[in-house]
Amino acid sequence: MTVLSAPVTRERSAVRLGPRSALVLTLASVAGLAMFVWPLFASVAPGSAQRAGEAPFVFMAVMPVLVLVVLAELSEGGIDSKALAMLGVLSAINAALRPLGAGTAGLETVFFLLVLAGRVYGPGFGFVLGCTSLFTSALVTAGVGPWLPFQMLASAWIGMGAGLLPRRVTGRAEIAMLVGYGIVVAYLFGILLNLYYWPFLAGVDVDYYAGGLSYLPDGSLLENLHRFGVYTLLTSTAGWDTGRALTNTIAILVLGPAVLATLRRAARRASYG
Amino acid sequence: MHPGAWWLWAIGLATAASRTTNPVLLLILIAGVCTVVVCRRGDAPWARAFRLYLWLAALIVAFRVGFRVVFGGGEGSTVLVRLPEIPLPDWAAGVQLFGAVSAEAVLGGLYDGLRLAAMVVCIGAANALANPKRLLKAMPGALYETGTVVVVAMSVFPQLAESVLRVRAARRLRGEIGRGPRALKSIVIPVLEDALERSLLLAAAMDSRGYGRSGRVAPGVRLLTGTLTITGLLGLCVGIYATLDGSAPRHLQVPLLVGGALVAGIGFVLTGRRVHTTRYRPDRWQAAELITVGCGVGVAAGFWLTARVDPASLNPSLSDLTWPQLPLPGVLALVVCVLPALLTPPPAVETPDRHEVVAQRHEVSA
Repeated sequence: MTVLSAPVTRERSAVRLGPRSALVLTLASVAGLAMFVWPLFASVAPGSAQRAGEAPFVFMAVMPVLVLVVLAELSEGGIDSKALAMLGVLSAINAALRPLGAGTAGLETVFFLLVLAGRVYGPGFGFVLGCTSLFTSALVTAGVGPWLPFQMLASAWIGMGAGLLPRRVTGRAEIAMLVGYGIVVAYLFGILLNLYYWPFLAGVDVDYYAGGLSYLPDGSLLENLHRFGVYTLLTSTAGWDTGRALTNTIAILVLGPAVLATLRRAARRASYG
Repeated sequence: MHPGAWWLWAIGLATAASRTTNPVLLLILIAGVCTVVVCRRGDAPWARAFRLYLWLAALIVAFRVGFRVVFGGGEGSTVLVRLPEIPLPDWAAGVQLFGAVSAEAVLGGLYDGLRLAAMVVCIGAANALANPKRLLKAMPGALYETGTVVVVAMSVFPQLAESVLRVRAARRLRGEIGRGPRALKSIVIPVLEDALERSLLLAAAMDSRGYGRSGRVAPGVRLLTGTLTITGLLGLCVGIYATLDGSAPRHLQVPLLVGGALVAGIGFVLTGRRVHTTRYRPDRWQAAELITVGCGVGVAAGFWLTARVDPASLNPSLSDLTWPQLPLPGVLALVVCVLPALLTPPPAVETPDRHEVVAQRHEVSA
């Protein structure tokens, strides 16, 4: 068949992303990002350090609402059953891959399939897959908690970003691009989640205690950035994040071409759209 | 028991825990939660994961205290021990490694860590007590598709292991014993193919049973839900900004966050109206469920009241070291949190999983 050799220029997206869904997704992403990076940009009036200590607890309640609203909006027009089944199966594979890596020095195996699937099936599919993969894996391992919505949103961004990469690139260039994306995403994911955990684990600076690495509510952007930079460098960038980037690179290099071909064949057979 | 009841109970307790750093209250709370879990959990795999949450909680406390010892615990006047300080290069200016360790710093870490640990234990209790499969069944209509995806994933999950075993057996029969990347590829790709193949079969089966089908929605209703969702999200964005910007008026923060969440929530419920499905044997809210939720909310309210009346007892001072007080309202509130151990029915003997799967498949679109 000549179809096989022809470059795949345009795959139809399995989960439609209309202008309204795009707007909701953008708003939710802005709000979500603010809830991740708040320690760096929050400006607290002097004398109300208590309020800064409360912010993460408020966000714990807001984040699930945000994720639920976006998911409801993405499926608002109805998702056809082939895409539902595909999402379910890929989420199951991701959930099975996750414990394989956890615990072994930053070997994170979830992201490579998420990146490849997002690339093939488009940004909407990637977003939903990121959410459902992490949710399934949390249900399977009984790991549901306040951290889950944050992880879901971060990995949903990874899937969506992979779907938004330029469509024209094919062949080896495509693999190279995906490897690069995998590395960037591995570090970004680590930094974002660290930023969310940071005020919890290192503590918030208060009157009676000023730790060298904890969050400073009335500190400037640079001051907090410096503290966080040292914290994240010491605790995770060198170990976990690099391990994650390496896993992504190796998995995409070794399995990427074959997995992409398999996913595209399935997409053609299912003929979305 | 309805799984939502356990979750609401646990969220109430976690909210209460977030209001206090009093170690005595937090330890009583943890003990109460553990009692309920021991009395009312079944023998399912998710119930056994509670132990992991206790370890995680211990780890958080250790991490918090350890952090204060390693990275400068010198604040405060009561020095416990002087460790040799390690000089750091310039880029880490302001960061101190070891050095003097004061009682104030260690206690600060301990109290904060205990608060977080108590919240983690509450969440772990909900994970152990609530059946995740029944929770999925109770998904609201707006998440019908997402819920279906997760149900599919949960039922495909066990088949993957079987698929891997089959592919490996086939490889052995062909005499392939290689290792390394090539072998990985020859296992992963067939398993993926198998799973995708299965997903297409599943989709055909779902089509014939009416899954993934949704009713017609009038354009007016669509416009309304869209407007509500977007307005709600805008409200949330501004509310988050007001939370973070100290110069923004305080009275903006709470109404905007709550209002935004409410408006988005109404849009969410309206979005769900398009799905017309009936449920096979739905979990009902009965007295036991309501009591459990009431206990959780009661504890949260009790702590909120205590914080109003006597804030110092909930957040013991660290500038002058004294034993933490034991406020009476707080202790009474904590008695309430153990009540579900007595007032709810004991967990039914787990019927085999098959039953659940059949029940899930019987949810038919009307």
